[in-house]
Order: sequence, then structure tokens, then C-alpha cells
Amino acid sequence: MKLKKEGQGLTFSAPVSSERWLVWMTMGILLAILAFFMLYPVYDICKLSFLKGGTFTLKNYQSYFSNPRMFRSLTNSLYVSLVTTAITTFFAFFFAYGLTRTTIPGKNIFYTISTFPLIAPSIIQGLALILLFGRNGLITRYLLHTDWNIYGATGIIVAECLYCFPNALFILYTTLSAVDTRLDEAAQSLGASALRTFFKVTLPSAKYGIASAAALVFNLTITDFGVPVVIGGNYNVLATEIYQQVIGMQRFDLGATISVILLIPSVGAFLLNYYLTKKSYALISGQARPFLQPSRPFKKWAFTIYCWIPTTFILIVFITVFLGSFVKTWPYDFTLTLQHFDFPSLGGNAPLWTRFWSSVLEGQWRSLIAYKYAPIWNSLWVSVLVALGGASLTLLAGYLIEKKRPGGVEILYTLSVLPAAIPGTVMGLGYILAFNKPYFFIYGTFWIIIINIIICNFTLGTLSSIANLKQIDRSIEEAAISLGADPIKTFTQVVFPLTKTAFFSNITFFFMRAMTTISAVIFLVSAKVKLAAIEIIFLDIDGRTASANAMCTIIIVLVVAMLVVMRLITGKSGLKGMSVTA
Amino acid sequence: MGRNLRLENLTKRFGTLTAVDHVNLEIEEGEFVCFLGPSGCGKTTVLRMITGFETVTEGKIIFDGKVINDLIPQKREFGIVFQSYALFPNMTVEENIAFGLKVRKRPKKEIEERVDQMLDLVGLREWRKLYPAQLSGGQQQRVALVRALAPDPQVLLLDEPLSALDAKIRVRLRAEIKRLQQELKKTMIYVTHDQEEALSIADRVVVMEAGQFRQVGRPVEIYQSPNSSFVADFVGTSNFFRGVRNGDRVHTEKRDFKIARFESLPEGKVFLAIRPEKIEVFRRGEIPEGLERSNLAIGRIDVITFLGAAVRLTIHLEGEEVISDIIEKEFSRREFRQGEEVQLYFPPEAFMVFSAEEGSR
Repeated sequence: MKLKKEGQGLTFSAPVSSERWLVWMTMGILLAILAFFMLYPVYDICKLSFLKGGTFTLKNYQSYFSNPRMFRSLTNSLYVSLVTTAITTFFAFFFAYGLTRTTIPGKNIFYTISTFPLIAPSIIQGLALILLFGRNGLITRYLLHTDWNIYGATGIIVAECLYCFPNALFILYTTLSAVDTRLDEAAQSLGASALRTFFKVTLPSAKYGIASAAALVFNLTITDFGVPVVIGGNYNVLATEIYQQVIGMQRFDLGATISVILLIPSVGAFLLNYYLTKKSYALISGQARPFLQPSRPFKKWAFTIYCWIPTTFILIVFITVFLGSFVKTWPYDFTLTLQHFDFPSLGGNAPLWTRFWSSVLEGQWRSLIAYKYAPIWNSLWVSVLVALGGASLTLLAGYLIEKKRPGGVEILYTLSVLPAAIPGTVMGLGYILAFNKPYFFIYGTFWIIIINIIICNFTLGTLSSIANLKQIDRSIEEAAISLGADPIKTFTQVVFPLTKTAFFSNITFFFMRAMTTISAVIFLVSAKVKLAAIEIIFLDIDGRTASANAMCTIIIVLVVAMLVVMRLITGKSGLKGMSVTA
Repeated sequence: MGRNLRLENLTKRFGTLTAVDHVNLEIEEGEFVCFLGPSGCGKTTVLRMITGFETVTEGKIIFDGKVINDLIPQKREFGIVFQSYALFPNMTVEENIAFGLKVRKRPKKEIEERVDQMLDLVGLREWRKLYPAQLSGGQQQRVALVRALAPDPQVLLLDEPLSALDAKIRVRLRAEIKRLQQELKKTMIYVTHDQEEALSIADRVVVMEAGQFRQVGRPVEIYQSPNSSFVADFVGTSNFFRGVRNGDRVHTEKRDFKIARFESLPEGKVFLAIRPEKIEVFRRGEIPEGLERSNLAIGRIDVITFLGAAVRLTIHLEGEEVISDIIEKEFSRREFRQGEEVQLYFPPEAFMVFSAEEGSR
């Protein structure tokens, strides 16, 4: 007996064994979820693209590169992504500079408006541009009487710039507000001119932030599906080409091949962004920002005017789509109407919702609310479940990664941040390949959609949980344990209450993403299960542009309502410091 | 025999680094033991192994006759007070104190009584409804102290509890902890890097360095009879001379001191150490009769530093610097000046002698 005790002491002693067991189990479950719902679909895609009849082959790649039309999707994607990256990073940098380094008035208004694109599906920029510059555009047709329209590369680039703007801005804003402004002051006190200071001090100190914002924009653009599908016209990009091959031609093998090709730049950009973000944070001094000197009048006015440019564009997008959903025939008849909110029969139903309203309502209202609005109800229901599930799982993952650090936690961390690297369309196709099997009973239901959206947005949820948990001192937990609290009580009574704010902001984030996401779930919706954001695309393809606008408006209203509710609950703005990837 | 805590060959290795190296100690019930050492010496690791938050690599922790190496922290019933207070920010003062009782599912009535009793112990009754953020650092640490005491732990462990506080509050709270310990007769283990704190508060001090216990003893022993030059240097201030011992004489580079205490030391290379307050300072004509002539030296006062109750003289001694502390009253009476030439006397019995072979300095 005594010997045995000694033996244990020498080899491995685990005073926290019961807790270990719980930690291991939780980690095992999280790893299993991530492996099964993220790695496995991607693995299936790779398998399909490289294997034919059980043997390794590059035939799929040959047919991709030898078909000029398909091959063009790669060059097209690279072209629009690079141009978007350059434009967005440039504009966002000076916008962030204006907000952080000058004393212009109305900073809060600028900041708030610039975050608008986050609350709508990316497709909204496309819809607005079509309303203004499309074949029947207000400006092109009605005002200028020209046949020129924005479809194609130009449209994609302009729309993506608007969509990516807030994402780039968040990174640059953080970078510029964290870099010590006293460096600038020191340089100027040493006699450097303002311009020289900017190029020799400000710009170099923000270089990692700039590069990381650029990498993020590149990733967002090359993986986006919503914008190119509505405004791309014949201009095919990788994300739309995957959809085209799979849904249009039933060529799953080619879809998988293009997916692998798309994975390369997107994973590359993700890794670059990740690496640069770490570098950028290393530069942050963490010192309190000293008083900002009042800017000289010229600088102040120049930056005020400059900041109004992107802000105005974003406002125009939202106003246009709003108007577009309420006027009779854009751009000829501007009589206000609600007729576009009476959607054409979309089919699909939401079991509970439909049954309830069918029993309550009669006639026209019955078909409108019970059936036509079913996708909206579905979206809401999915979003609520995604919000709760996503926020809880990412909090747990963050807790294990930041606080518990069991052996092999690096694997959990890697898998948790990886989803941002995988384009939504790739993930969507992967889900079809991996889970469209008779025995996989949740395929074709909205549960698979919920899982997909949670997984696709796992990265940001986990990272923000980690950032928040970092602020909780390790000894607080140890205090609870030493006072006799078991692991579950420690988590529920001490850790969770302290992370509540972060948890609620994660709920908001997941809700927003679930309401607005398109690229992955477009592969997973069916005749029975429909989602509001996806219906925008189908309405638009059917030529019911006004109804597409109306659907977009409804989504925005619901997201804003959620933001207001969360703000009332937490007393904090749900959008603060939130950036969206993939 | 009470519920003693015993460390047997306790060792902790992090990879190849040995943080705690085969240490042994017996702490009696009701004793107040202080672990003192520079940062990185392993004192906190010892404490964390006792709490159960750190696994033991080798050796045993025995409490009340049972090996508790593998006991989970919440089963050990040891209270902990942290340097960062670690109060639950989402709970009020009384909720914080009640936490340990609530998770043990004590009856409501008992919890209320106990919380009242604890609040009275530190005089924070009127603060009970406040949240930690509304309290000062000193008040927060008082709450943390009684929160740890509330479930009546077997042992109370304090990890640098006063390091984050102002000097004045630190001294006051130190006295308060000492009073509580004497009142409650609770076994307490206290970790600090502040030697003044350790000497003033503990029944026994454990001086640690590089993962080992260098000396264990009552504060007075540690101060007056350090067993190594490390302890002499770390605890209190000492002047050091390097030399070679030959009988009751030590030859340094420039001098030849007579020493009185050298019991079991072998002859050869030694360190001589002497506390600043043991060195006597005379004006040239004032030297009394009967002093050991070879222990006298002429020097010049270089710097005078006013320390409050004492005055520190930094004296230049032909290439060597020696510091001597004299009490303020005497300094005022004798009116020493900067640059003045003085005679220093090193009493033979004041010298502490250490073998220089150990190489710890």
C-alpha cells in the first residue's frame, strides 16, 4: 500500500482529477464536433477532387485549367480581390486615421454608419448598385439615359469595397488607437514636418495592422458569394463557379476541385492575417492615450469631408434598398406601396409557425403570414438557436483554451480558429458531400443549417471569448475552488457571471451572422427548409428585385431589433469591436 | 499531537527546471510560518503544491498523518488569500464571505451568523452590501481574509497578501493578520519576499533560495545567526569582507580582523559579515580604552542618508565601502558631517563568519 502511494507520487500526481475528467470530456466533445462538422466535409471535398474510381488523379484539375471559361474564374477572383483589397485598405486607413488621430466632429456618427454593412447580408450592396446603376438603374437609365451598367467586375469591386469597409476599419482603428500618439508628438517636437512624421513614424508603426486588414479584405472578397451572384452577371468568380458547377451542372467533382483551388488563396490570406494580427498586437504599448492635440483647421476640414465620402456611400446603399422595397416601380413610379412585402409564393413552410397562423388567420392574411413569411420565421428560429448554441460552445472552447489548458489544447485552438479560413461555399459543398446520406438523419432539416452556421463562425466567437476570459484573474477561480466549489459551481457561479457581457455580445454576433449569411447555407436550403437571406437571391434571380429589397429590409429590421434588445439587456452596444470573417 | 502539516522531500520540476528541490518541513498546528525568499525562489510553488493547484513531482505532503498529494483542492479545506484579493466582483462583501459556506450547503441561519462574526472580526459590518470594486485595496484584502476564514479551514495559506498595498496599510494589515492568527490559533503559512514583513509576523521563518530551504528558524535566530552569507545578505543588511581565517583572526586584503564566533568552521577562505548597526563610529580623539586595536579602521563619511529613526552613514574606507547605522538621537547629539574623518570599530563578537567555499555569494 505504501509502495503504491510512493509510486504514484513519483510518476504522475493529479490532485485535480475529478475536474480533469470533466475538462477532458468537454474537450473531447468540442473536438469531435469540430472534426466531424469541419474537417470531415473539407476532407471529403479533397477526396472527391483527387480521386476517381478509387485512384489518385489530377484529371479534374486538368479539366479545370484547360477550360478557359472555368479557368477565368480564378483570374477573375484574384483580380477583383486584389483591387478591392487595395481600395478598401486605402480608404479605411485614412478613415481610421481621421477617427483616431484628428479632432474632427461627429466621430461617433462616422463610426456607427460605417458599421452598417455588418447588419445586412453582403448582397445588399449588390442590390443597391443595381437599383442605381443597373439596366434599369435610377442613375444610368433614368438620369443619364445611358446603356452602360455596372454588372461585372466593376459592380463586384464597388460592392465588395463597401461590404469589407467596416471589417478593415475595425483592425485599423484598433491599430491606430493603440499605437502611442506620443511617438508622433516626439517626432514633431524634434522638428519633423507633419508629412514626414506621417511617413516615417505613423505609417511604419501601423504597418502590421495595415497588412492584416488587407489580408482580411482579400479573404472576405475572394470567399464572398452574395455580391458576385447578384451583380457579377457573366463575370464568374470562384465562389459562384462552385455553385454553378454543383447546382447548375451537377458536376460535384469539378465543384470540389474549384473548392480546393479557392482554399489556397483563402487559407493563405487567413494565415497571413492571423500572423500579422499577432505581430500587430505585440506593438501595442497598452499605455493610456494622452490628450489629442486639436487638429489644424485645414486638416480638420479635409478629414471631415473625406470621412463623409464612404459614410455617404454606405448610407445611400441602405436608403436605396429601403426605398426600393417601398416604391411601386423603380425607377419610374415612386408611389409608396407595401405590395412588395407580399412575397410571391416561395413554398416551404415552418412547421410550428405555419400550423399556428393557419389556425388563427383567414384568407389572404393566412397565405401571407402562414406560408409566405415562413422563411423569415425559419431564419429567426435558426438565428436564435445559432445564437444560443454558438455563444455557449465558443464560451466553453474559450474557457478550455484560456483557463483550463489541458494537454492537446493546441489542437482545440487550431480547430477553433480554422473555420474562418474556409470559404462558406466550400463548407456548404463539403456538407452536401459529407452528410447527404440516407442514414444522416439531420441532413435536409434546419438542424444541419444551424450546425453549419455555428461552425462557420466559430473563429470569431472563440477569439472574443478568449479575449474576455483573459481579463479574469486566475486566482478568482482558484479562490472559488479553495472555498470548496466544484468545477461546475465554479463555472456557473463565478466564471460565467463575469463573462456575461462577452457572452451576450457573442449571442448578438451569431444572431447577426445567422440572419445574414448566404454562402454556405445556400447549399443546404431545400424546398422545405428556406431562409430569408437566401430568398433574396432567388427573388432577385426571378427578377423580383423589389421583393428582394423588401426581404433585405425585413432582415435589417430584425437584426436592428435584436441589437436594440441586447443593448437594453446589457447596456452596451452589441456591435462594438466586432469584426466578421468569412 | 495536533494536526500537523509535513513536507517530505517535496520536489517540483517544470520540464528540466527544478523549482522546488527536496524540501522538508514540519509545521505544527496553530503555528505561523513564513516563507521568505527572492522572486523565483520557489516559495509560491511550495504554497501552490500545498493548496493542490500544482501537482507534486516527487515527495509527499502529509496533513494530519495522511498523504494528501492526490487530494483535490476543494477537499483539502485549506483557505487561501491571494495577492490580487481575487474577490468575486459579481458578489457583495457578504455574498463573498458566504460563498464557501453556501457551496458546503450549511444551514442558512448558520451562514448568517458566521458572516456577521467574520465581518466583526475585521470591522467591516457597514460595508457588507457593497461590491468589491467599491472598496479600497486594504478593505478588499480584509474581506478576502475573512472569506477564506469563514468555512473554518484547517490551514490558511497567504500568498503575498500585502504586496499590492501601500506601505502604511501594509503595516497595519500585517498587525491585524498577526492578531487574528493569535486569536484564532489557526495554522497559517505566509509567503512573502519582504523580509521585514516576514520577521515581524511569523513564529518561524523559512528562508528559500533556488528551490531550497536555506534556513528555518525563529525571526530572531534568522537575523542574529544567519547560517549562510545568502541569508545574512537577504535578511537585513550586511557589510561583507572576503578573507582567509587563521584561528581567531581573519586576514582580508587590507586588514586583519579578530573574530569571536567561528565555532565549527574549517580554516581557509571565509566571508565576514557585520550588520550596519553593530559597527561603532568614533571621532578620532574619542576612542575608548580596551578596544581590540586591529578591529579599528579610519574612514571618511561619504553620504549621510536619513532613514527616520536611524541614520545611515556610508563610509569610505580606503577603497572599500562600509555602511553603518546609528540611531537618530545619537546622530543629532554627535553632529557627524559629510566628509568628516572617523574611526570605525568592528566588535569581534559582532562578526558573522561563513565559509566562502559554498559559493553562494
